[in-house]
Amino acid sequence: MSKEINRLHPISAVIESVKALRNLILPIAIIVVTNGFNFSLNIHSEHFWETVMLFGVGGGLAILTLVSGIVKWRTFVYWFEDGELRVKYGLFVKKKRYIPFERIQSLNYHEGIFHRLFGLVKVQVETAGNKDGKPEVELTAIEKGAANAIELAMRQAKTQEVVEEIVEVEEIPSTAIYKMSIRDLLILATTSGGIGVVLSGVGAVVSQFSDIIPYKAVFNELADFVRIGAFVIGLLSFAVLIVAWVVSVIITLINYYDYTVRIEDEKLMITKGLLEKKRITLPLNRIQAIRIIENPVRQFFGFVAVTVESAGGNGESGKDKKIMLFPLMKKQESLVVLEELFPTMNWQPQFVRSPKRARPFFYRIDFIWLLPIIGASSYFLYPYGLLSVLAIPLFMAFGAWQHHTAGYSLDGKQLTLQYRMFSRITFFMEKKRIQSMESTQTYFQKRKQVMSVNATVMSGTSGTTGTVSNIEQHDVETILAWYEH
Amino acid sequence: MELRAQPKHQISSKGLTVWRVYGVIQTVILCIVGGAACYGTYYFEWPSFIYFIAGAVVVLSIILSIWLFPKIRWERWRYEVREHEIEVQHGLFVVKRTLIPMVRVQHVDTTQGPILKKYDLSNISISTAATVHTIPALIMDEADHLRARISELARVAEDDV
Repeated sequence: MSKEINRLHPISAVIESVKALRNLILPIAIIVVTNGFNFSLNIHSEHFWETVMLFGVGGGLAILTLVSGIVKWRTFVYWFEDGELRVKYGLFVKKKRYIPFERIQSLNYHEGIFHRLFGLVKVQVETAGNKDGKPEVELTAIEKGAANAIELAMRQAKTQEVVEEIVEVEEIPSTAIYKMSIRDLLILATTSGGIGVVLSGVGAVVSQFSDIIPYKAVFNELADFVRIGAFVIGLLSFAVLIVAWVVSVIITLINYYDYTVRIEDEKLMITKGLLEKKRITLPLNRIQAIRIIENPVRQFFGFVAVTVESAGGNGESGKDKKIMLFPLMKKQESLVVLEELFPTMNWQPQFVRSPKRARPFFYRIDFIWLLPIIGASSYFLYPYGLLSVLAIPLFMAFGAWQHHTAGYSLDGKQLTLQYRMFSRITFFMEKKRIQSMESTQTYFQKRKQVMSVNATVMSGTSGTTGTVSNIEQHDVETILAWYEH
Repeated sequence: MELRAQPKHQISSKGLTVWRVYGVIQTVILCIVGGAACYGTYYFEWPSFIYFIAGAVVVLSIILSIWLFPKIRWERWRYEVREHEIEVQHGLFVVKRTLIPMVRVQHVDTTQGPILKKYDLSNISISTAATVHTIPALIMDEADHLRARISELARVAEDDV
């Protein structure tokens, strides 16, 4: 094995500095704005010293980040030795980190715009035990050839463990299991977060109908003002939302461009991006649970999104623990692919639904805050406030909808929960992946013999919980008994 | 199908005392805040309903957090450590029952604050890869014994799935 010392590409100094500078921009901008742009280089001006201080400190910090970027690049070295990836960096405090190749869970690639220009790639090395979702080692910018060398060395180390003689590692074939078509990409971009636009559009239309309501008779002069005001505000917020929507469409298009999922050597590889390219590696055995999410609009057209919960870190930022596997897919198609990926699981379970007598539990709790609001608005905004009574059937219908969705399915070693807030979520998990289960019951639920149940699986460095509310008590007891043995 | 049996063990009656002590501390703090509010009302001539609010809050705190809530909580709290799983039941308004299989237990901690120490009690927390579950206010010896037992059982428990 080579003991050649490798360095990062010089451009990584620039990338590090730019990253650090970006963090400086906001505080400086805040100072500039709060100062009211009262800057002057005239020594007699009262703002002179402030200006000098600000630019001095800002400039100093900028130079410091530049230097630290260069230092990090100059001191950072990595090499392969004894089946380990070894990394050393730091000027005053030297840090060394040795990672055995067989411990590496995944290599995630990320190509930003700088990287694209120079044919480079950022490599994040992830192991099972990483803290707070950060990668164990991050190589800011190396050439693609060097990245392949790491991958090859890793694969070599892993195969050598099993069969000593094998030196030549054959290319493991990778098959694309999903590639998002341009049509799907467009649907994804246009339907994500579109509900706000629809609502504000409705608002603008409704404000048009204010002619029907006899404002004039009630308020006289005030009416004109109110009506025009409402219309202008409606129109304005509609315009703002349209712009926001167009921006979000463009961002989604750029982020999810060429979204491809491949399977290679028991690992899922997700690549995506137009300007910035990302490659996330996800070992199949780290997957804890799978969720099929159908938001109401997409459910209507038969589209679903599939996310997976994975143990340990992942290429995405630390906060976003669930990983999108298929952002948009026809439901039937997704079931076929999932069946192929996880043949041991039942992807079309028969659900046991929440009993009819449990329906009131889905909306009764809302009355606690709804009734005071209705009371207050009816009293203070009489007579139009009385319209708020309409919220009651609305919430009841919404609850009935949730009730209709709530259900579970037990199938051998698999538990499937289905429920909705707005989007319908179907949570598939294996018994061996469930970390703990809990049943909850209020006094009122007890009287009606219904119970809620939740199951927690590992996700990232903590857990994620699926909950089905108000199903038969004996069903919950069956689930708990199933979990026990 | 009959109802699931409740977990066997209750927590020590000293636990109830400790929760009442917590309630007293909370009430004392509320008394200080309420007193300050009354003082302010008197000197700055704020509206007089503030007296009633302050009084009501303190009285409610005495009734609820010293008397009622600890009682309900204590009566509800049950736990049981079996060979293959730990079962815990708790909750004030909502009865929660949690099942933690031994195979999933990663480690067990006991913790003790100054008040618990005075009463010779300690909390025991059971961690899985995703969750942490706490059994509060156990007699120290019992907690230590339990911790040892859980870690022993967790070690033998084999993943049969």
